[in-house]
Amino acid sequence: MPEIGHGGKEIVERIMEPAEAAEKIKGLTAIPIRSQIANEVIDIAYGWFIPLEGFMGKADLESVCKNMRLTGGAVWSIPIIFDLSEAEISEYGVKAGDTVLLTYQDNPMATLEVEEIFEYDKKEMCQAVLGTTEEKHPGCARTYQYKDKFVGGKITLVNRPKINPPYDPYFIPPLEMRKRFKEKGWERIVAHQTRNVPHTGHEWLMKGAWFQSYAELPIEKPLVGVLVNAIIGAKRKGDYIDEAIILTQDELRKSGYFGDHNHLTSLTFWDMRYAGPKEAIFHSMLRTNLGLTHHMFGRDHAGVGTYYGAYDAHHLLASVQDELALTPVYSMNWLYCPHCGEITSEGLCDHKDEQQKFSGTLIRSIVQDGVKPPRLIFRPEVFDLVMVCAEKYGFGSPFVTDNYLEKRIPVFSIPPMST
Amino acid sequence: MAEKYPINIWVNEERYEKLQQADLADMCEEMLAGMKVIRVYADDAQRDKILKIFPTAKFDSATTKSIELLPKDVKDKIFDKVIEKQSVDMMDDFLSTY
Repeated sequence: MPEIGHGGKEIVERIMEPAEAAEKIKGLTAIPIRSQIANEVIDIAYGWFIPLEGFMGKADLESVCKNMRLTGGAVWSIPIIFDLSEAEISEYGVKAGDTVLLTYQDNPMATLEVEEIFEYDKKEMCQAVLGTTEEKHPGCARTYQYKDKFVGGKITLVNRPKINPPYDPYFIPPLEMRKRFKEKGWERIVAHQTRNVPHTGHEWLMKGAWFQSYAELPIEKPLVGVLVNAIIGAKRKGDYIDEAIILTQDELRKSGYFGDHNHLTSLTFWDMRYAGPKEAIFHSMLRTNLGLTHHMFGRDHAGVGTYYGAYDAHHLLASVQDELALTPVYSMNWLYCPHCGEITSEGLCDHKDEQQKFSGTLIRSIVQDGVKPPRLIFRPEVFDLVMVCAEKYGFGSPFVTDNYLEKRIPVFSIPPMST
Repeated sequence: MAEKYPINIWVNEERYEKLQQADLADMCEEMLAGMKVIRVYADDAQRDKILKIFPTAKFDSATTKSIELLPKDVKDKIFDKVIEKQSVDMMDDFLSTY
């Protein structure tokens, strides 16, 4: 049975076998790529970005910007583009019709069949996708850093990435993920998008979404799972380190707050654009390809600052709901109520004057002050693991520092190819 | 009335001991299932100055409306100033050194 992904297209991995690859890359012009592009090469090749087969050409980019769709009609909200400078195009002699070799960490990674080289107004792209052209928006800042030419064409991976410990068990590409879901017998799987170490507010977001997704299904055996899908990409100073994020998310299962029967942790390589509503659409496409049936969306999903309204993402999702294969699960905030003596939903508890909201930022502040929060707020196993990660991976800090950025274990490596 | 934004100084054992020694332990509020905290408030101008001086700090506009992620040594200085002034009304004094 073919596995069908976003846009009704079959998920087919674009990965060449080693013997064929070694032959195919001989004599190709090598072009080094940066981490963002390497992440997206992996996403394209393994099927996270179905129906895309490569980096967008101008018609697709324009269609995404103007209509939030690919030219083939499928909903698509974020440009996936490969930028080069005029000088690089000239230096490498890149032209339409050529196949070039993209290299990462000085080793061959993928071929790119160049279909088109084009320009596009970056401000126009920002306005269309992010709703602003302000440089202080991190998505705009990223866009303005793109070089001036874009190269569209199909990608084929010629060298599989080696996912380094401790991330390796969490790299589960779409075809493998769908297999795992079948093995677990899950009929509904709800995605939890995260870039955070979980506090109990997050834990209850997941538990609430699990209840919402379960709905009318029979309860004799476990039929619903939560997939934690951590976004692993560019880091900013002060963020939790990636190792702490992925390992503590899984710790909730290992320590019994969830179990094998309803919880799985995984990662997706992606550099956040903080595009709010457009990023919410994008996340629903990614997770459709991973085989999910439901997706949690809280307030201001994937937003930044005050650029987007709290429910803009929900409204945009509703506008294309008929064309998305998964069902959004809208989540209200969870908070601590001293009167109830528990974590509760703002939609349930009526002790409005007593409720104490907390956020990932607030919890980070507590940890930074060297204080261990109570288990109702932050699970002790999670706290202890954060501290272990600080020592083992973070050079003494659970938060990203200059030292970490410089010396951290790469999430994946591209090994040399045997020829 | 002008808006005030809290800075939460979370009280660990070391800080609590200092507060007790200064006879200020009553200053602590309880938050989030029993955590002790001292809340120092900044007005709009003070908040903006804090965010400018300490670039890692963040104003949590979405959830708690508090100023978070100040480096620990800065929090320690604020805490010491509270002890010195015997009051949480010390922000002007604290910021005058920057």
